[in-house]
Amino acid sequence: MRRFTNGTRRHYACSMVLALTLSTFLAFRSDAQSPQSEDVKPVPLFTGSAGFVTSFDGGEAHLGPIASPVLLIPLNKRWLLETRATFESDMVQEPGLSGFHGKVAKAVDYAQLDFVANPYLTVTVGRFLTPFGIFNERLYPVWIRNLQTDPLILPIGIGPSNASTGAMLRGGFKAHPQFDINYAVYFSALSTASPADSDRLAGGRAGIFVPHVRLEIGGSFQHLLQQERSNSFGFHAIWQPPAWPLDIRAEYAHSQRGSGYWVESAYRLSQLAFFHNEMRRVQLVARMQRFIAGILASDSLPAVNTKKFEFGLNYYFIDGLKGIGSYGRQFSADGNKNVWTLGLTYRFVLPLGHAGSE
Amino acid sequence: MGRRYILLCFLGVMAGLTFSAIAQERTNSATSSNAATPAPTRVAGATPAAKPASPSSAATAEDAAAVERALRVEGEKRFRTNCGRCHMAPHKFPPRVMATAIRHMRVRAMITDEDMRLILHYMTR
Ligand code: HEC
Repeated sequence: MRRFTNGTRRHYACSMVLALTLSTFLAFRSDAQSPQSEDVKPVPLFTGSAGFVTSFDGGEAHLGPIASPVLLIPLNKRWLLETRATFESDMVQEPGLSGFHGKVAKAVDYAQLDFVANPYLTVTVGRFLTPFGIFNERLYPVWIRNLQTDPLILPIGIGPSNASTGAMLRGGFKAHPQFDINYAVYFSALSTASPADSDRLAGGRAGIFVPHVRLEIGGSFQHLLQQERSNSFGFHAIWQPPAWPLDIRAEYAHSQRGSGYWVESAYRLSQLAFFHNEMRRVQLVARMQRFIAGILASDSLPAVNTKKFEFGLNYYFIDGLKGIGSYGRQFSADGNKNVWTLGLTYRFVLPLGHAGSE
Repeated sequence: MGRRYILLCFLGVMAGLTFSAIAQERTNSATSSNAATPAPTRVAGATPAAKPASPSSAATAEDAAAVERALRVEGEKRFRTNCGRCHMAPHKFPPRVMATAIRHMRVRAMITDEDMRLILHYMTR
């Protein structure tokens, strides 16, 4: 299946090594400005999330316990070692057996070493979440996502197991007094070591963020260097109007295995005058999505054109702990169905050492 | 087809190098013009609200307090703009915890260097 020539491979390897060496070299030369404020020494952290999400998918009940620990080890002034693992189960009622049963799936989501070379560039090596679109890298953890079901287009452009194995250059900087630019370019090698498998691919994502209107728009591009050697691309937009407690996010992705979009808005009821203390903890969410099947088949994407509408209600008990509930209706040629979810998600942050006084 | 990949890689390499070069340029000028100023104040110099006072008066406690206040206001503003974009903006953690989380967010969320310094200053005071 893999058809890449040694010549192309050599070119790639050379360019990547050259980029990493030069940027590292330049970074060491520019160490006059330390990337982190001198007076606070970061401490290693054990953080992450846990959740329990029950869903009723087309009438079938699923119990979904999930734990996703993250280990962050800052080294020196410029380095960060970060890794996340996920343990989750999808438990269903088996015919003839009582109770719910399911296997625990384990995955190393990422295990990467980041080097903050200078204010414009961070070099990452290892296994990292593929920065295609916004959901995988920014919204995936259960404590962050507004709706617990994955967007239909999520599998586009992120590779098997959502991660890449290789190297990435990324950064964010003020390009103009009115806006910031962020970018990521990466290369991933083929890995078949399940569950840490990845595809051979190269790609990039760039975004423009306008702080005073809190608007980000951006695009992603990726070229698969194996199998059909196809291109994928996508666009994203995030807007949080400063005057309202409203989040609007949208993403479009296109690949030969399918394309589609989702648009989500989430409104926090913090501006309501009655029961203010309770209402400000409530968030209403609505998401609409559409998926159009591609010319090639995929295991992880729907086989047929699909539309989905979802409505959710989240309740933020305290920082990090939220109750979630949602209803969705999916329409496709395979049959229409309802999807309900109900659950609890939690994010924790524990220092592994002296945390410093407040 | 092969050429396209090489072009893509070259673009990546060029982007990395250009940013490194610009960064170095800026670093050099910042160090030579303002070497003795502590890092947060140097950042504040970039924001109109927190322009450092002239050298003769900078030593007075009132000026230091005014700079500190301005840094805090600017830090809070940057926190509100940046830290609730993907998840609910977190509450304050102890300083060393915040320092790690912000380094993590710098990488993950591509928070700019200046935003990171101001937010860290605000969140750890
Ligand atoms: C671009 C999206 C994005 C932005 C902007 C962002 N975060 Fe995060 N944040 C994340 C994601 C994603 C995680 C979860 C990381 C994981 O589990 O892999 C996270 C995790 C955290 C955590 C938990 C500990 C950790 O480091 O994982 C804290 C605390 C946090 N963010 C604080 C902040 C602060 C403070 C800011 C503003 C400077 C910020 N975040 C801005 C996406 C973002």
